[in-house]
Amino acid sequence: MDNSGKEKEAMQLMAEADKKVKSSGSFLGGMFGGNHKVEDACEMYARAANMFKMAKNWSAAGNAFCQAARLHMQMQNKLDAATSFVDAGNAYKKADPQEAINCLNAAIDIYTDMGRFTIAAKHHMTIAEVYESELVDIEKAIAHYEQAADYYKGEESNSSANKCLLKVGFYCAQLEQYPKAIEIFEQVATSTMDNPLLKYNAKEYFWKASLCHFIVDELNAKLAIEKYESMFPAFSDSRECKLLKKLLEAHEEQNSEAFTEAVKEFDSISRLDQWQTTMLLRIKKTIQGDGGDLK
Amino acid sequence: MAAYPKSHNPFAEDDDEEQAGPRRGFNFDDEEDEERKLSPAERRQRQLEQEVMRTAKSAVDSSNRSLGLIYESEKVGTETAEELIRQGEVLKRTERMVDNMEQDMRTSQRHINSIKSVWGGLVNYFKGKPEPRPPQKEPPTAYQANSRLQTALTESKDQEGKYEASHPNLRKLDTSGFGASASFDNEPSSQNGYPKNKQLRAAHQQLDNNLDEMSLGLSRLKNLGLGLQAEIDDQDVSLDSLLNKVDSMDGKISSTNRQIKNLK
Repeated sequence: MDNSGKEKEAMQLMAEADKKVKSSGSFLGGMFGGNHKVEDACEMYARAANMFKMAKNWSAAGNAFCQAARLHMQMQNKLDAATSFVDAGNAYKKADPQEAINCLNAAIDIYTDMGRFTIAAKHHMTIAEVYESELVDIEKAIAHYEQAADYYKGEESNSSANKCLLKVGFYCAQLEQYPKAIEIFEQVATSTMDNPLLKYNAKEYFWKASLCHFIVDELNAKLAIEKYESMFPAFSDSRECKLLKKLLEAHEEQNSEAFTEAVKEFDSISRLDQWQTTMLLRIKKTIQGDGGDLK
Repeated sequence: MAAYPKSHNPFAEDDDEEQAGPRRGFNFDDEEDEERKLSPAERRQRQLEQEVMRTAKSAVDSSNRSLGLIYESEKVGTETAEELIRQGEVLKRTERMVDNMEQDMRTSQRHINSIKSVWGGLVNYFKGKPEPRPPQKEPPTAYQANSRLQTALTESKDQEGKYEASHPNLRKLDTSGFGASASFDNEPSSQNGYPKNKQLRAAHQQLDNNLDEMSLGLSRLKNLGLGLQAEIDDQDVSLDSLLNKVDSMDGKISSTNRQIKNLK
């Protein structure tokens, strides 16, 4: 695959397309089917962008797609413009995350304008993922996930909405915004506990909500656990609930070894993931004012 | 071999080490001098006891591992279920959109007919409006996953209680009668299934608990599996109908394209 050749070809195409656009701006061009020329230019931009992609020149590809998108907007082809913006965003993802986010935002605006909320929600999720991984801006990621969840709820896609909400909950708890996290986990848990297929995971969400309650205040946790047990009896059978009760006891007696012991016992059968371990460590810190020994 | 109740005293120390023995495996040198006092029968007994302890311990370990695996499978199953339901929602939405497309295609077909010729326009008028279905057949309802399992689930929970009461092994055994007297005559008594040796009893109890939890876990897994299967069957049907609709849509679109080209 002759990539450098492709790149040169792509640059040629770009130059041609630029010329076409300029020429269509002139009076004469406008007379003789200026639109035709602009359409051709769009197509050429798209082809050039694809060739840049083959040559792995992501930022040039993104740039070309953006140009195409702007031309589409000019011609009032909203749908095509939006798809071009999305292509641009995908290309930029590998090179310049910030640009990618800009393009995706533009695409989202167009989609919400047209009333296509589901697609807009999907792109919000993509943006949030970029913030999660490459730009590491958790606040913005939370905002986008929330927006995506709202759109999904509006379109009655409850499972997708729950997926986004859970991520919001995780990050809120990590950033110590506990009340919000608690509300989210409770909401998701109550909505899933009736569904025959999803109820197996409801206990998982109650467990997470209880952990957040615990960090805030021990009494809260106790009341919350009782409430959850009455709402959802299967929760009381679960090992997570038993662990919570042991932890509550250990916390009351300010006994951090019992705490560690209980956690270790639970961990020996089913591993605790990163998030849960972080939360448990925070709880442990509240047992003893000082750091507490490492597990 | 009911043995040596009178010889408790001289062997009082032995008793303690007897309990510590299983943890260390075979007796070591510090007991060499006492071995002379033990008859071969007693030595054999001690070996057997240690053997028993070891087996019990390995049984408990393996049941712990199984329990862990069961919980892991449950977790995987639940995540699959969530993904499956999300997919189902997407399918339903796709089907709705294809229906909308079909509606639009009919409208455009009418327009093309009227454009093609005046006669076509008249024909349209006489054909009347093509069943003007409301643009959205029904407001998008929340997705209901297969709920056949709900009834099955409540039923099986009731059954479980009855089953447990009837089956002798599942009844919780009363172990309060056992004293902590780890004496020499700790032959496993077969009357209630629980040996009198304290450690062995603890191991067996742990094993029983684990087995209980395993059975609960397995029944949950079974229901989860059945639910997943029902959901997948539903989605299968959905996919088939979607396939048909999309195929016919494809045909209509290409014929419409041709007509429009001919109009030029």
